[in-house]
Amino acid sequence: MIYIVSTENRQAFHHLLTEMHRHRKQVFIDKLHWRLDHNAGLEIDAYDSEDAIYLIESKTPRGEISVSARLLPTERPHLLGEQFRDLCETPPPTGPNVWEATRFCPAPDTPAGEPRRLMLGRMIAGIMETALIFGIDQVTYVADAALAPLARKVGWDVRALGPPRGKGRHKIQAFAARIDADGLRRVRQAFAINAPLIRFVPAEPARAA
Amino acid sequence: MPASKIALDFIDFCEKQTDVAKIEDRFVATLNALGYEHIACASHVDPLRPRPGAVSIVNYPMPWLEHYSHGDFARIDPVFLAARIMTSPFNWDECLTKMRLSREQKRVLAEGADYGLAGGMTIPLRSPDVMPASCSLVAGPDGVDPLAMAHTLMVVIYGHGALHRRLNPNALAEPVILPPRERECLTLAGRGKSDWVIGELLGVSGRTAHNSIERAKKRYGVSSRTQAVVRAVFDAQINVDDLSN
Repeated sequence: MIYIVSTENRQAFHHLLTEMHRHRKQVFIDKLHWRLDHNAGLEIDAYDSEDAIYLIESKTPRGEISVSARLLPTERPHLLGEQFRDLCETPPPTGPNVWEATRFCPAPDTPAGEPRRLMLGRMIAGIMETALIFGIDQVTYVADAALAPLARKVGWDVRALGPPRGKGRHKIQAFAARIDADGLRRVRQAFAINAPLIRFVPAEPARAA
Repeated sequence: MPASKIALDFIDFCEKQTDVAKIEDRFVATLNALGYEHIACASHVDPLRPRPGAVSIVNYPMPWLEHYSHGDFARIDPVFLAARIMTSPFNWDECLTKMRLSREQKRVLAEGADYGLAGGMTIPLRSPDVMPASCSLVAGPDGVDPLAMAHTLMVVIYGHGALHRRLNPNALAEPVILPPRERECLTLAGRGKSDWVIGELLGVSGRTAHNSIERAKKRYGVSSRTQAVVRAVFDAQINVDDLSN
């Protein structure tokens, strides 16, 4: 299942959050050589905060993570508004009903091909389910050449925010995806997902010291 | 309480408090509040025989410390070794798997894990005394919020510094600074040169070279040249590279 970790319940998810930052270091820095900062084996950037919403797929709150992603409210500082502004021909959509999805991170040992594709499908469905619950109608993201066509193929209603930049595997492009029940149905169908994936576990009330 | 408030309150406490034992207790309580259960902030020596004037706050389980001390593990502890080489905080799982460890070193890690000392993080510390130091932290059952990392570093670095200051109140007031002639003579003595050779190299008499080195020894309060050279290297009065030919 995919846990929703937000400011309300992150206290119950320290283990999964730490593991997620560890995976991000292994995937984005060790494997993909993105120029990011890390500390004690964790990749944490300026956009990781209590305001971010993390989607983390794991069997239990202490289990191993298969995939994770980060959702940022676009009313606050976010990547497309600050780091990737040049990918957008017109100002990217922002507002209380728009989120930005970043740091899509499959576990470092995920085999390429089908397992990876299914994982991406589950995460797209998870993002859509979460967005629908929170009343979000658009999700923006930056995708590389491998990811971009897939999202569209599975029935996500996606529009480019500007032309692609870069070459070959390093080509990146900004997109905005529409969130609605029909789109979720199409994505579920494409990946043979027949039940909701997300789960919200409220944090226990603070214990007396 | 948010991690930032916990950390800032601690720093405020350190500013006002002069009692070392109280700062030590608050240091442990603050790191506990951030989610860490086991803490070892100390020089890289036997934790049951800390050096005078050195910071030593260790709340590892006592049976483990006794076993550790008995086995003289401080000399081979892979965490200490890594902390001497690393310049920034590291987590044990990631860093230690990259090191080539002896069977004894692996045993130290495995036996420590039996006492709950696993999955830790170590912050290498700059210590103004002779021994390298670090602060190792192992999270409690609820884990630690990854966003609290910056505050953890703040508490550890500030707390260690504040304690060191309290334990060595005169360190800043009376630093040893060797005049150029003494430094030159001591450096050459460190390279194994005799008074006569040092005199020849510097264009002074052997007697002058001898007297300069005696004065340097006196400044450090030591009785041999070797001791004086070692102290001067740790004080950064002599660059260790200048000792090689």
